[in-house]
Amino acid sequence: MNKKIKVNVVKNVLQANDLVAGRNRQVFKENKVFALNLISSPGSGKTTLLEKTIPALKPEHKSIVIVGDLQTTRDADRLSDQAQQAVQINTGMSCHLYANQIAQSLSDIDLKGADFVFIENVGNMVCPGEFDLGENAKVILLSVPEGDDKVAKYPTIFRVADLILLTKVDLLGALDFDLKRVKEDLSKLNAKATLIELSSKTGQGMDQWLDWLKAKRTEGIGRQARFATE
Amino acid sequence: MHELSIAMELVSQIVEAAEANRLPRVDEIELEAGILRLVVPEIMQTAFQEAARETIAAGAALILTEKKAKVRCNQCALVFEPHVDDFTCPKCRIADAKVLEGDQIILKSVSCNLSEGNGK
Repeated sequence: MNKKIKVNVVKNVLQANDLVAGRNRQVFKENKVFALNLISSPGSGKTTLLEKTIPALKPEHKSIVIVGDLQTTRDADRLSDQAQQAVQINTGMSCHLYANQIAQSLSDIDLKGADFVFIENVGNMVCPGEFDLGENAKVILLSVPEGDDKVAKYPTIFRVADLILLTKVDLLGALDFDLKRVKEDLSKLNAKATLIELSSKTGQGMDQWLDWLKAKRTEGIGRQARFATE
Repeated sequence: MHELSIAMELVSQIVEAAEANRLPRVDEIELEAGILRLVVPEIMQTAFQEAARETIAAGAALILTEKKAKVRCNQCALVFEPHVDDFTCPKCRIADAKVLEGDQIILKSVSCNLSEGNGK
């Protein structure tokens, strides 16, 4: 006689990660820092952007960087001079950061006096979208050399983005890149997200990006303060 | 490629559920994937078998079902089924919608087949 034991679970598979992400968000809130999750494919210019952004935010705003890469401490090394603190996470063979890796890093980080936490995710347009880290905003970088078809090809990540930075726009004239196509694809997925055309090399769009950061931070901290009194 | 990341989280939940319910092993798993997660069934199967190796769920059958998406337009409140790459509201033509269903991956059940003389 065969007997089948069935256990009904009904649980979100990513619940364990989401719980830790919620705790990270609480830590950011308590410390009044604005945390950003920077997501893109490898080579889109995340580290270069941070090399330009962090000094430009000074002296009013101090930044902390958490960088995820499979191997090496190269990115953290590049950013350690400018940031208040730069922490490297080596993910080994994992293609994204987990919320608990951020939680572990936060135990080594002094958030006091910091205004921004930039989390540079592992270069990948797919898996980082599945794993909430507790950030306040998701920033997706799309570089011109990657091609104008990427928004439609990776709809999930662009749908949940708060900001899309089109990077390396200094190459627009040199490559066949249809900016209209990107905007059209984006308008079908996420009408609320802001798109900034940016070049870390020429400085185009940097002011807009810095203004966005400051405004979102003020908005975020304001909202947090309001929540605290509710 | 995100299937493997999902499979690893899935296996740890299966092991947890099996241990909590004292199942000697796991033979069948029901998983519901929201269509917005873009889970490819064939890849999910392979990823699951790989992630389950040397665990209580090794060799278990993964029954995968898909959940359609449902969203509510933030502008006009219309509830509609979007396409994965097009969230434009059919009424007000703006892509600004809150996802109600179809963006989660849910472990629904774990089962164990006990046959007499073989099981515990």
